[in-house]
Amino acid sequence: MEGFLANILNGLSWGMLLFLISMGLTTVFGVMGVLNFAHGSLFMLGSYLCMQFVRWSGSFWMGLVLGPPIVAALSILIERFLLRPIYGRDVSFQLLLTFGLMLFLDDGVRLIWGPAYHVVAPPAILSGVIPFFSQSYPVYRIFLVILGPLVGLGLWMFFTFTRWGKILRAAAMDRQMAEIVGVRVPILFTGVFAFGAWLAALGGALAAPHQSVGPAMGERIIIESFIVVVIGGMGSFPGAFVGALILGLLNSFGTTWIPDVQMALPYLFLAVILLTRPRGLFGGEA
Amino acid sequence: MKHRWLTVLLMLSVVLAVAGAGLAAEKPVKVGFVYIMSGPFATYGQFAKQGAELAIDEINAAGGINGRKVEALFEDSTGKPDVGIRAIRKLVYENEVDVVMGIDSSGVASAVAPIMNELKTPLIITHAATPDVTGTNCNRYTFRVSLNINQNIAMAAKLAAKLKAKTWTTVGPDYSFGHQSWEYFQKYLSKQKPDAVFLPKEDVAFSPMATTDFSPYITKILNSKADGVLISLWGGNLIDFVRQASDMGFFDGKREVLMTLGAATEVLYALKDKMPENIWVGTRYWFAANDSPVNKAFVDAYMKRYNVYPSYNAHGAYAALKTYAAAAKKANSIDKEKIVAALEGLTIEVPVGKITIRAEDHQAITDGVWGQTAADPKMPIRTLKNLFHLPGDAITPPVEETGCKMK
Repeated sequence: MEGFLANILNGLSWGMLLFLISMGLTTVFGVMGVLNFAHGSLFMLGSYLCMQFVRWSGSFWMGLVLGPPIVAALSILIERFLLRPIYGRDVSFQLLLTFGLMLFLDDGVRLIWGPAYHVVAPPAILSGVIPFFSQSYPVYRIFLVILGPLVGLGLWMFFTFTRWGKILRAAAMDRQMAEIVGVRVPILFTGVFAFGAWLAALGGALAAPHQSVGPAMGERIIIESFIVVVIGGMGSFPGAFVGALILGLLNSFGTTWIPDVQMALPYLFLAVILLTRPRGLFGGEA
Repeated sequence: MKHRWLTVLLMLSVVLAVAGAGLAAEKPVKVGFVYIMSGPFATYGQFAKQGAELAIDEINAAGGINGRKVEALFEDSTGKPDVGIRAIRKLVYENEVDVVMGIDSSGVASAVAPIMNELKTPLIITHAATPDVTGTNCNRYTFRVSLNINQNIAMAAKLAAKLKAKTWTTVGPDYSFGHQSWEYFQKYLSKQKPDAVFLPKEDVAFSPMATTDFSPYITKILNSKADGVLISLWGGNLIDFVRQASDMGFFDGKREVLMTLGAATEVLYALKDKMPENIWVGTRYWFAANDSPVNKAFVDAYMKRYNVYPSYNAHGAYAALKTYAAAAKKANSIDKEKIVAALEGLTIEVPVGKITIRAEDHQAITDGVWGQTAADPKMPIRTLKNLFHLPGDAITPPVEETGCKMK
């Protein structure tokens, strides 16, 4: 029983990190139609900046608050000077560009911080454990499990109730129509791209106390995030949430129950979804 | 007048001598290195490169190999077998190296060793530990100067036999290295302690290399009835595992823990005081394990140059170069066939101790060391106490057991 509950918590905490990253990926795709390969690298950058701020200030919260906006600012430059010139071109240009950007960022991080692993301690208030039946469970993971839905709720409220959220959804639905009714799409795009990068970096900062910070962390997470986004439905917000939860739980329960095929589970599930609901669980009919 | 002629003659002879020396200095000895230089295991490649550069500078300062300067070329295997094969082919065909050294990861080693017969170039493995490349898959051109799985796990089993734990399980990377470590551990430990119990295949934990969240594996082990755990994770995997496992109460003293590569300084520098104390950890080389002048000189020079303690991977690259230089001296040539002949049976003292490359399977007979992690306020990283040494002869299986048929 306690193993079962621990697995649920394990799955949820990993799922919540995946959710934050997938959320940015799916927003950028939903609104801009850009599949951003470099999204994982922005996640990684969030982790490194968090680590750097922790080193300077000694406080994890500084890293969590200050790191993501810097990544968002960088992505404004990326959107303005790299992505914007190729919007009109074939989609393969975007894939190549973002892929190249990923290589560039990964190597850039290596140049600045070196190839070594770095370790970030969770803030004191979240660093202990709570008793969990006969064992214990880390507070930081519980924090992730609670934070995920809160961020999700915040985003949902933003998209549902605020003017900017509504504009975003409108642009995602029909870009041309939005332009006709006076939405300034270029600025919107810059904003959306920066917002997605901010979410990725937030995920990265939150992941820093949870896993070692190293140059390849982005490559590893981007694949799982793509699976989440495809399972949930490209561009769907609730889809990203449900997809991330499914993947997190598949990971934890698969490891316990069917270890031999655990590695293949996300891909098998992805194949089933693609065969039965090619647009994903929450994808529109279109 | 006579004087002037003499001066001219003297100058001429000096010029000729310098030019002659220039002519005599042949082209450099080219050494190709293949390590993981990018991705989550890149620290291993970085440290190996440092060890190699130190050895090369020492060799060149002492006049080079048989009077020829040594030149190094580094290639990135990224830890992937196909990339490793491409890197070696490039080094041999394009750069025309005289010898290849390195190889992290058993997966890469198993893939590249068989092609050395086709490339007819010696390969000196310095890290990858799969027994196959000096066992069932051994060949004329493949050598290893570092400790292999058999040797390291033989030590783990000897330690485990002395510990209280009765029921053993494992957490390892889900490829040949993790599986072979567990397989040999069961084989060796049940010989020494017939009543040792091992959890069945479905209850042990093998995690893919790309894993960053180890909590499901930790939960699995915590909820099993094992009181002994063999951990063969390494690099970033081991760092992530240790941190997450500490948080989940894994190191609460209720179980004996053996980490086969826990004393890698790559890992210790990243974890610092987050590495739990009193854990048994293995390595291929521990910088403080012996006081030999060779080791002291190596550690001091390395410390002075890089300001970190040398890792086993730095040592592997350093030792491989010194071994190659000794073989070239013995053969008085760097001809590839002559080097192979000279390496076979060669004994040389490197920082880890005296190693002998067995002629029959090309595995180095090298001493092993394990120790228990301990805090030392004077050290930037966890150090080792209660060092457990065994000589190479005691931990290396006899040639007949390796399955090597040299071709």
